[in-house]
Amino acid sequence: MRKIKAFAVRNAKEILRDPLSYIFCMGFPLVMLVIMTLVDRSIPPEAGMTIFRIDRLSGGVMVFGLTFVMLFTAMTVAKDRSGAFLMRMYASPMTAGDFTAGYLLPVLAIALVQAALIGAASLLIALITGFDLSVGGLLLAIPALLPSAVFFCALGLLLGTLFNEKSAPGLCSIIISLGSFLGSVWFDAEATGGVLLSISQWLPFHYCTKAVRAAIVLDLTADAFWLPLAVTVGWAAIVAVCAALVFRWRMRAELA
Amino acid sequence: MNAIETRGLTKRFGKKTAVDHIDLTVGEGELFALLGVNGAGKTTTIRMLSCLSAPTEGECAVCGFDCSREQAQVKARIGLSPQDTAVAENLTVRENLSFMAQVYGLAPTDAKARVEELLLRFGLNEVENDRAKTLSGGWKRKLSIAMALIGSPSVLFLDEPTLGLDVLARRELWRVIESLRGKVTVVLTTHYMEEAEHLADRIAVMIGGRIAALGTLEELETRTGKKGLEEAFIAIAEGGTEHA
Repeated sequence: MRKIKAFAVRNAKEILRDPLSYIFCMGFPLVMLVIMTLVDRSIPPEAGMTIFRIDRLSGGVMVFGLTFVMLFTAMTVAKDRSGAFLMRMYASPMTAGDFTAGYLLPVLAIALVQAALIGAASLLIALITGFDLSVGGLLLAIPALLPSAVFFCALGLLLGTLFNEKSAPGLCSIIISLGSFLGSVWFDAEATGGVLLSISQWLPFHYCTKAVRAAIVLDLTADAFWLPLAVTVGWAAIVAVCAALVFRWRMRAELA
Repeated sequence: MNAIETRGLTKRFGKKTAVDHIDLTVGEGELFALLGVNGAGKTTTIRMLSCLSAPTEGECAVCGFDCSREQAQVKARIGLSPQDTAVAENLTVRENLSFMAQVYGLAPTDAKARVEELLLRFGLNEVENDRAKTLSGGWKRKLSIAMALIGSPSVLFLDEPTLGLDVLARRELWRVIESLRGKVTVVLTTHYMEEAEHLADRIAVMIGGRIAALGTLEELETRTGKKGLEEAFIAIAEGGTEHA
């Protein structure tokens, strides 16, 4: 446990001491929250478009923010692999399981802090705009976001393990775009329907956003909350197991 | 008990043989140099001895533990400073050492004492709060070796420890390595003749993955009839690969 803690603290420091992590993981989601609120204020009520209303926007931005945590996870792992640092660590008493836990724990903590900040900012925006946003719903959104956080962090670990320092961020950028588009972050896939909704329903992003949005408005019905949450938990479990197995396989291959 | 023993140790990458049936014994507390040109098989040998690469054939043991079957015991007894300075770039010098101390399972009070000891021994105090990425090559090498020593290893592997350093930094690092003589078994790889000549108790000359000659400087000079390691090395290299 001491080894995992030491490695997790090291990884947290590596990420938090990179100014870009604040810009992307904290600054950018908050800026998007403000910009989309301004967009929402510009949309006439008769249009009936509620995707950027703070109770719906907040959950979307929380999931959007996770995609950047994924990016920094992938970058950290890929960078460690590209240099001799991980080789030194392989010669130490650390096991593949220690590495996996040590990479995932700090980024999960960062993801939850990020969600809490977005929740606080959403509450502030709701106060300013006079919208009745549930504090209980925002608090519930944090645990409801946990499976999504595991999914994105594990995906970052997987990409950082499989790809190098140059290609991993590029692939993450594609997932960030796909995730926000097919995750119904910036538009309502269910209202749009058609092929786009069908594609979204085959991927995890849509369910991540749907579960968190339902938590924020305290809509705890099976269709709105529990089912999407269960799908997200399933995806998170699959990707986390895959990431752990692939890391172990890669480590063994590098030590062959 | 010998610190290191290898028997017929071989590593092949496809059709290329990087290390070819080497037999070695290194005694406890010895400062042992693997000398050879680039591609001679020095780093591959170190990788096999530090459980970073599995032998294709033969076996190797560190402190009596087999490097293939008893990796946990071997890893607990070795320290490695790789060819590229493997430090956590965004951590300070002190944090790098504390981090490694925890990885090697030292209790917090022991870890703190060990970090203080190594900061002092390597003269790292003046840069202890500097982030590793801001350090010069010489400081990084010193930090890298200090990190390898944090777990009080019985055997320390230094892969090209002075590669790319200027003459002053190299001399300073030599003093650091010399201070370990007799306390830790040190195996260093180098292609600098003067480094092996200056530091090593015994030298193994590696050519084409084989040990072409092995002995003290005096023994190598006597065997070749040449004065100085460079002349002896050339004579050995031109004479083919005969086991010592």
